[in-house]
Amino acid sequence: MLAAPLLWLTLTIGVFELFDTASRRSGRHPLFHPVLWSTPVLIGLLLATGTPYAIYKAATLPLSFLLGPAVVGLAVPIWAERVRIRRLAVPIALALGAGAVTSIVSAVGIMALLGAPHDILASIAPRATTTPVAMAVAGQLGGIPALAAVIVLFAGVVGAMIATPLLDALRLRDYRVRGFALGVAAHGIGAARAFQVDPVAGAMASLGMALNAVVTAALLSVVAAFT
Amino acid sequence: MLRAILLLLSCQLAGEVIHRLTGLALPGAVIGMVLLVGWLALVPRERPGLVAVSGWLTAHLAVMFVPAAVGLVDEGAVLSRYGLGLVAATVVSTVLTLVVTALVFRWALLRFAPGDEA
Repeated sequence: MLAAPLLWLTLTIGVFELFDTASRRSGRHPLFHPVLWSTPVLIGLLLATGTPYAIYKAATLPLSFLLGPAVVGLAVPIWAERVRIRRLAVPIALALGAGAVTSIVSAVGIMALLGAPHDILASIAPRATTTPVAMAVAGQLGGIPALAAVIVLFAGVVGAMIATPLLDALRLRDYRVRGFALGVAAHGIGAARAFQVDPVAGAMASLGMALNAVVTAALLSVVAAFT
Repeated sequence: MLRAILLLLSCQLAGEVIHRLTGLALPGAVIGMVLLVGWLALVPRERPGLVAVSGWLTAHLAVMFVPAAVGLVDEGAVLSRYGLGLVAATVVSTVLTLVVTALVFRWALLRFAPGDEA
């Protein structure tokens, strides 16, 4: 029974739904992100029942499988913004390149200074991309996908919480700029926050998230090919 | 609906094949995303099914990566050794990325697209 896919699949969606309701009640506050709360509860259930992660992983495969098509589907927000992309091609390319490089270099640089081994560096390098891309890239580079997932999630929460006060302090009022930066720095959680504030900011954040997934993954695969 | 699912899966499959053939570290799904943008450009038409399916998938992304996050159960040693460093590196990197992206974007808008308005 404990090895049956049905049990863990039902529990995972059930626990998630519970915290998702709480998150909705909180007005989608980043600190109430449902993954942040359902993950420790499910880890507790695995430990309490003595279920090895490999069993849980196999049982919840139908859920994880959907990540691939979901990533492919990010083409839709890119396509929807094609007019703006063409019009703002140069600013978008420059900001995206600068943001992607800053994210990788600062995250990997700090961990390297702390003496972290390769698998940790590979897990934090894609931290600005959307979670499924980060997991796949981390796996490709010899990192730990689970660690990458949690780092990315945390980065999203930090970005979503800090964006408004930080960008206000810098006197950046243009919602195109604010949204795009939040999508590049804090992926889907940032984009969700941007949509709460302003529709243009939300669309630009989705665009920033989708484009940065491609750019960061491409940059890291080039780096990996030459190291 | 079924056609949209077929399109998404076909792009992912093609991306996966390119990934294996070239040995790039770029994940197959990301290559698939680029292929889908190319396909939408080649065959432009209204695609309400695709918008609905991809919208549903994106809206429920969070629950799909819960199983991966639960994998942390086996990473206790890594977390106790590098957890604090990872928190610090993630916070610093996120703040820097936000600031640099926003400042470069604002500067480039003024320099290259001064008349453009949101």
